[in-house]
Amino acid sequence: MTRPGEEASVTSEFVRSYVITGGRSLPAADDLALHTLVTLAPERTPPLGAGPEVMAIWQLCAGGYLSVAEVAGHVGLPVGVARLLLTDLSEQGHLLRRAEPPRAQNVDRATLEKVLNGLQSLIG
Amino acid sequence: MTSLTTDPLLWILLVVLVAAVVAVMRARRTNMALRRTRKDLEAGLGQARGDVGQLHTHIAALTAQHQRDLADVRADAEASTKAVLKSAMGTLQSLAEEQQVLLDSLLRKYGDTTDVLADLMTVDHTGSQFGRRAKGISVLCGGWLGRREGAATVYDVARSAQGRIKDFDRVSVHSQVNVSLVGKAVEPVAVVLAELLDNATTYSAPGTPVEVNIQTVPTGVCYIVDDAGLGMDQETKDRAAALLSVDGPVDITGLGDPPRFGFAVCGMLAARYGFAVSVGSVSPYGGVRAVIRVPESLLSADTPAPAAGALDDQDAAAPEAAPQRLAPVPVVGPSHVVGTTSGGLPKRRRRSGSVTVVPAPDTAGQEGAAEPASEVTASRIGAFARGTQLGRTTQTTEGPDNQ
Repeated sequence: MTRPGEEASVTSEFVRSYVITGGRSLPAADDLALHTLVTLAPERTPPLGAGPEVMAIWQLCAGGYLSVAEVAGHVGLPVGVARLLLTDLSEQGHLLRRAEPPRAQNVDRATLEKVLNGLQSLIG
Repeated sequence: MTSLTTDPLLWILLVVLVAAVVAVMRARRTNMALRRTRKDLEAGLGQARGDVGQLHTHIAALTAQHQRDLADVRADAEASTKAVLKSAMGTLQSLAEEQQVLLDSLLRKYGDTTDVLADLMTVDHTGSQFGRRAKGISVLCGGWLGRREGAATVYDVARSAQGRIKDFDRVSVHSQVNVSLVGKAVEPVAVVLAELLDNATTYSAPGTPVEVNIQTVPTGVCYIVDDAGLGMDQETKDRAAALLSVDGPVDITGLGDPPRFGFAVCGMLAARYGFAVSVGSVSPYGGVRAVIRVPESLLSADTPAPAAGALDDQDAAAPEAAPQRLAPVPVVGPSHVVGTTSGGLPKRRRRSGSVTVVPAPDTAGQEGAAEPASEVTASRIGAFARGTQLGRTTQTTEGPDNQ
């Protein structure tokens, strides 16, 4: 009876985003702006019962600062949904955030200038 | 003697005798005629009875024939109804799928616009319910669900099912099990679980929780759905058990008006894909407990990635996210490969510890030959470019290290 050949392939997202948010209303965009940088606070353990998306964000943020947009892109979620999960983590005190990228250190001026020149020649 | 012959009395007696004889003769004749008639009639009656008997047999035969024809016609009508419905539902299914794919891209596109995103999610929710209905009817008509490529974790299957019902926010999923279902079982189990969840939320008071617990058993994995409703009466239980144990086509016209497809869909899919569904036991909350038991043969050893594209920071491995390299530009001495973007997202190596953007001299030297080293350099420079640009444009409204 089963002829798998008849079955069309289904490619839509399997778990819909409103299930991931649990139907909660989304946080305002200005709370965690697209380019706000987030990272994991030191010595934290993941919250109990964290879903796969939260765990993915957790591992992603463990390595250093990433912008909200990057986090959303990497875990493959709409930014608003990623923002809600990040807000949760932030409210639980798991996240450090800053509006400014971390400053580079131990770099001598000459190298910086060369890199800058290179970038400028690349961009325009 | 003369006196005798002349005696009128004698003559009278004689006449009477003759008359009597004649009367007797006539009566006898009439009697005979009547007997004959009666015999004829009896024979006729017997024949008529025989005819009636024959007619009865004939009628019985005709009735049986009629019943058979009627059943055939019904089966034909059912089959053609199903064929029409199957094809119509197939169209609706693919439209629903198309809509969901479209919504996936819209959700990403308007991801940063909170209001639009929330509205799109509402539309998505309605669409998912619509898709589930179409799939259910299609299955009953012998149609197909559509096949998911790749395995999905039991937890994701439960959440996918959750998303296909109206009151999904009343459902909570608890899983300590880290196994996956094989691709072909993913949709069927999700559809069946969605039907059970729909029953559970529909037949329990609004606001009461519905729980899905996922447990391993020696023969596979069980989804246990508990609601806090009033439970089922015996008639409903019997009906459910009959529909769940169905083996073969389901009579869709016998499902009532409005039709109750749920259990029929469950029974059909369970039989087709080889898992078991049972309802009728009592949940700890006094409602119904429904159980799907997925056998080991439908479980997969593969553990899919937690989320699409997640954790591919170490990647070159993710093919669709392969960095798009720009033309080499001279930076220090020999040329460097600079800048990696994919879909507009800057792609870079994660930095750990202190931030270093200066490539080690030897790395720069062997850059042309050593691909990983050049990638590291490229991603570092990309990150640096991004950082400096952000540093110049960002309106700093929050202090550093806001926790």
